[in-house]
Amino acid sequence: MPEIKVTPLGAGQDVGRSCILVSIGGKNIMLDCGMHMGYNDDRRFPDFSYITQNGRLTEFLDCVIISHFHLDHCGALPYMSEMVGYDGPIYMTHPTKAICPILLEDFRKITVDKKGETNFFTSQMIKDCMKKVIPLNLHQTVQVDDELEIKAYYAGHVLGAAMVHIKVGSESVVYTGDYNMTPDRHLGAAWIDKCRPDILISESTYATTIRDSKRCRERDFLKKVHETIERGGKVLIPVFALGRAQELCILLETFWERMNLKAPIYFSTGLTEKANHYYKLFITWTNQKIRKTFVQRNMFEFKHIKAFDRSYADNPGPMVVFATPGMLHAGQSLQIFKKWAGNEKNMVIMPGYCVQGTIGHKILNGQRKLEMEGRATLDVKLQVEYMSFSAHADAKGIMQLIRMAEPRNMLLVHGEAAKMEFLKGKIEQEFNINCYMPANGETETVTTNPSVPVDISLNLLKREMALGGPLPDTKKPRTMHGTLIMKENSLRLVSPEQALKELGLNEHQLRFTCRVQLQDPHSDSDTLHRIYTHLKSVLKGYTIQHLPDSTVMVESIVIKLSSSAEDPNTKVLLLSWSYQIVTRYVTNIVITKH
Amino acid sequence: MGEMDAAEFDDVVDDWFIESLKTYKDLHVYQLEHPTRVIEWTSGKTVCVAGYRSAKNELLELLLPLKLLAEENKGLCAERDFKVVHGGFAEGPVHCLRHIPGTRCAVTNDGRSSGLQVWDLGGDDSDVIRRTASVAGRSASGRGSRIAAGLSSDPRVLHGAESSDVLLTDLTSGQSVYKLKSDAADPLSSLQFVSDSVFLACCCSGNIYTVDTRASDAPRPSPPPATGGGDGVLWCADASPSSAGGAGRVARLSSSGEAVLSDLRDLGGAVSRARLDVLIDHHNWDDVKVSWAPALDDCIAASGFSGTVQIYDTSAWAAEPAAARPLFEHRGHVVSSQRADSLPVLVTSHVWHPERPRTLLSAAADGSVHVWDWVDQSAAAC
Repeated sequence: MPEIKVTPLGAGQDVGRSCILVSIGGKNIMLDCGMHMGYNDDRRFPDFSYITQNGRLTEFLDCVIISHFHLDHCGALPYMSEMVGYDGPIYMTHPTKAICPILLEDFRKITVDKKGETNFFTSQMIKDCMKKVIPLNLHQTVQVDDELEIKAYYAGHVLGAAMVHIKVGSESVVYTGDYNMTPDRHLGAAWIDKCRPDILISESTYATTIRDSKRCRERDFLKKVHETIERGGKVLIPVFALGRAQELCILLETFWERMNLKAPIYFSTGLTEKANHYYKLFITWTNQKIRKTFVQRNMFEFKHIKAFDRSYADNPGPMVVFATPGMLHAGQSLQIFKKWAGNEKNMVIMPGYCVQGTIGHKILNGQRKLEMEGRATLDVKLQVEYMSFSAHADAKGIMQLIRMAEPRNMLLVHGEAAKMEFLKGKIEQEFNINCYMPANGETETVTTNPSVPVDISLNLLKREMALGGPLPDTKKPRTMHGTLIMKENSLRLVSPEQALKELGLNEHQLRFTCRVQLQDPHSDSDTLHRIYTHLKSVLKGYTIQHLPDSTVMVESIVIKLSSSAEDPNTKVLLLSWSYQIVTRYVTNIVITKH
Repeated sequence: MGEMDAAEFDDVVDDWFIESLKTYKDLHVYQLEHPTRVIEWTSGKTVCVAGYRSAKNELLELLLPLKLLAEENKGLCAERDFKVVHGGFAEGPVHCLRHIPGTRCAVTNDGRSSGLQVWDLGGDDSDVIRRTASVAGRSASGRGSRIAAGLSSDPRVLHGAESSDVLLTDLTSGQSVYKLKSDAADPLSSLQFVSDSVFLACCCSGNIYTVDTRASDAPRPSPPPATGGGDGVLWCADASPSSAGGAGRVARLSSSGEAVLSDLRDLGGAVSRARLDVLIDHHNWDDVKVSWAPALDDCIAASGFSGTVQIYDTSAWAAEPAAARPLFEHRGHVVSSQRADSLPVLVTSHVWHPERPRTLLSAAADGSVHVWDWVDQSAAAC
């Protein structure tokens, strides 16, 4: 049976890292290659022993596809390609290709330089890995080889995030990566056509949540900023250039305008240059509004938000500063943090996840005393706020996506089967499809029902139409007879006569014969007549004829009678037929009568 | 230098939004796939909601967002979403849902017959809510039954559509242990236990039966104190929980916007009254609800007349009815309404948090569910 195999790599109840293997039509594809951010040792890397016990992965994988630049989806890529070994193609969208190496290098620096770890990839490895990357455009079909093709769809979520359609022959799979079904201020919503893949693969993590509205998240952000400003405090917002910075700036700008606030807002120049650069490059990946903004003006030209100078950090009074990097692990944001941490009127708002080893991670875990360089300790007295703005689909979103793509089967990874029975039931009932939930490290085999395209000769088609009305439609399958010719990669259905002609063969007719002996004293013609009468009485519904040339015919079976030369009472019945089964019945009847 | 255009401005920062920064401590806005008319606590952190479409509907048990529940280090918690912890399917609409305290059992009614469905909400090993039994009602009126959970340790459910068919059924045996003796087929607006053995059967006519299940004689109904409203006025009522300060009080609310507070021992008299600031034309009486705050003295919430939930401080009310202004009005459902047409969206249900004094949940006919913790502006002003 044709089948597709899906294995989420990982173990136990692991969530927090994506690396999925798919075997389809003889091809092996790795979807994402994420780092598990919760572990400090080798457990953070995916376990590739499922693919091969030792040695390089190149010959076992046809390609690797990365959905977006978050570390839990691409963090282990340089480890996989350079330390385990893989030289085949790695596909990702243009923005992902541009942003990935920056995040990977940051991550490497933190892990190796700050935490002193050794079993980790180097800067050179990141560069070598990126050389293997082939960038994808949206909605463009890419032939990985003769049989395997892939296509990227817009996923929303972060800049450059894609959902991927993978096709081999007539079997296909769609992997969603992380996606979002509601547009936000700088990204559109995920979209896919009714591609009807055999399997739609998605995360289960958000399928059992109902998201709080964006307005309420923004409200909380503005409330916290406003309260801090009102008491004369300073707000530090460490951001990654391509994260929510632009969105949060728009929010503050409109709020300041509306409330007629006077406190200064700054953003560090490094931030604006990078962000402008990337947004310009990837303008098609953002939403309508941002595109309009770019056309009208420079994205970071605001009335109330100005470029930051490091000396401003010492100015008295309230202010808001956006600074990089986002995890407070180095640079300007860390410098500002050190100055402001000691004052309880101040606030730091962390708008995203922070990697272990960073100051950001420590303060989000409630640490109030930090060890800085040179054994100095920093007392964290300012207010720490963790806000999540990342855009994810929820229970409603997953149903919308299934409605859009119309998959034949659904597969959810990273969930506990016992905690997902309701969702599984809901999907199965609403869409009448199977919902699979393989555990980490387990392979789910999904049987597919691929349609095989066959060319049909015009003659055969006309003959079929003459037999039974209008051309068959996809809802009412019809059985038909013909000869299938498989030559090279083509399949053709033709009439048997045409096939014989093409093959240069003559048609042969086969007839079978059987001799039955009876003892009967009557004359030949009498005996034959009695046989005829008998058959007519027991084989009702069949055409039985007694022909003038002394044969009896039952349908197309011919019965001839003759008597043995030596003994006139020994009659011999010669039965001959082409291929019908009814003859066996006839033979039995004749024998038992006597 | 670019300016934001007017549409973008309103989209980002509208009046209500700005106001909400000062008027709410916490605010969460959710959109369910299908609207609910029920919100019922199943623990201190979880609520059940269910759909009311004519055919198949979902029952969902939702875990409140961790950020809302966090006591210390609230700022370090970013989790704002509901988690669907258990779910199941009902064959018809769910108009009433009650959780039986001390169990993982819930009872529902479909609003068009008197029978009840009994559900197992599921434990740690499974996330499926399953139907385990049915309980027959006595009524053939085609009206839905009201349901109340017993307060005693045995799992019991009180149900009925009219005063003549109220039954107390033991869920373990499935047997009825008490039948209310009444000939009047007065349609009920609610049933409520006020102690282990005493319950109130509140009728839409305004009559309230105080029933002691240990007594043998038929209880007499207490009519509402005379009000200005004419015939055809409908009533709903709520008794203050025994834990709240002040001896048992009952608040009644009429479809003409009159509120009457009575002492539980003298339901025919009125301790105080008021005329509430509500629209009285266009609503479904089944959805109108009045409830006492479990943790905030003298406060009641009223909803269902419109798209808002109003909180009133009844301590200021006097014996003579006067127009009352709400202490707080939650307008979130109106403001963020998802309706395409211009008809107002109606609030279908509200509940108070059992412990947090100013936290409520409310649901509206457009599928929205809000969780809000409001700020008492009058207290702030002092």
